[in-house]
Amino acid sequence: MSSPSKRRVPLLLGSGKSVALSRGGDKKVVLNLTSMIDMFTILLVFLLKSYSADGQIVTLSDQLILPKARVELRVQLKLEIQVNNSVIVVDGDPLLSVTPELLNSGNSIPELVTRLQDHMEYSRLTRGTLTEEDMKINIQGDIGIPAILLQRVMASCSEAGYVGQNLAVIKAEIVEGGEV
Amino acid sequence: MAKAASGRSRTGKHLPDIDMLPVMNLFCCIIPFLLFSATFLEVVIVEMAQTEGISNAGGGATANLMRSEEDRLQPKIIITEQEMFIGTVSGTAHVSYALQTEINGSMVTTFSWDSLTIKMTEVRDLLTEAYPQIEFHKITILTVEETRYDNIIQAIDIANATGFDQPGLQVAPSASVNSAMAGGGVQ
Repeated sequence: MSSPSKRRVPLLLGSGKSVALSRGGDKKVVLNLTSMIDMFTILLVFLLKSYSADGQIVTLSDQLILPKARVELRVQLKLEIQVNNSVIVVDGDPLLSVTPELLNSGNSIPELVTRLQDHMEYSRLTRGTLTEEDMKINIQGDIGIPAILLQRVMASCSEAGYVGQNLAVIKAEIVEGGEV
Repeated sequence: MAKAASGRSRTGKHLPDIDMLPVMNLFCCIIPFLLFSATFLEVVIVEMAQTEGISNAGGGATANLMRSEEDRLQPKIIITEQEMFIGTVSGTAHVSYALQTEINGSMVTTFSWDSLTIKMTEVRDLLTEAYPQIEFHKITILTVEETRYDNIIQAIDIANATGFDQPGLQVAPSASVNSAMAGGGVQ
């Protein structure tokens, strides 16, 4: 991208500019940048205020809507399970479909337990030892999932050794008179 | 100096133009960068409590007894298809009936969360007054299988706001919850 010239270039406005030029007219209009600078300054202040140097360390799926809550605990980078009414996704890989049978029976989900145990074993092998923080997991659930599905997922996490389960939610901004 | 001062007075009406182009260039670089990296939704977490029994590890016997007492006395928010209650060892109290509301074109069940906030504050005050030696943090959300996730999160959020910051989740079939309610108390 070439840098703009510092030479002041007149902005010629109006439908009859060619006529004006041919007649040697003096219709030179200089663009007033003050209002644009004002707008940019406001935009800059707003964006700087909402800027987070940490970045977003969780990936939000388009397929689910997280509920809102007023909690303040910041999310940490952990193994992620995403659950909606059609599929359970572990670490980005779709693991199994949510069927009516899944919502009717049992406590933990065997396929999920196996997958999580594999992940924990892999972590143990790569890191040598596991701390309490390594045994935490983030669960992203869609607002519409039934309690039984959440409970089965959480039971599967516990059975696989993930004793700390964090439910990811969107932070609700509190304004006077209620929350947004 | 005197000449210069008089010179300024002669040219006082002429203001020098400020070259805005570098400022505009800077803004045109910063604003796209900030727009791309902006996060308007902040993701936070709700930590769910672990189920723990009485053990000798850490704390000593008195702490364990306190903990077991807290476990015994911990309140429960009971959510059924029709109603929401708060249950303690003393019995249950009605909080709200289920309300139907439209979200994204479909009717969903919700509850009066303001009522829950009021009741939770009352329960906390009663427990703190009756058992000043115990710090209450745990609470259980006991719900039927069909309860929507956002209702569970709302209940957890209100419990957290009233000081019960270690929520646990129990899901039971509707028949079990209703029979427990018919029994008059939740242990």
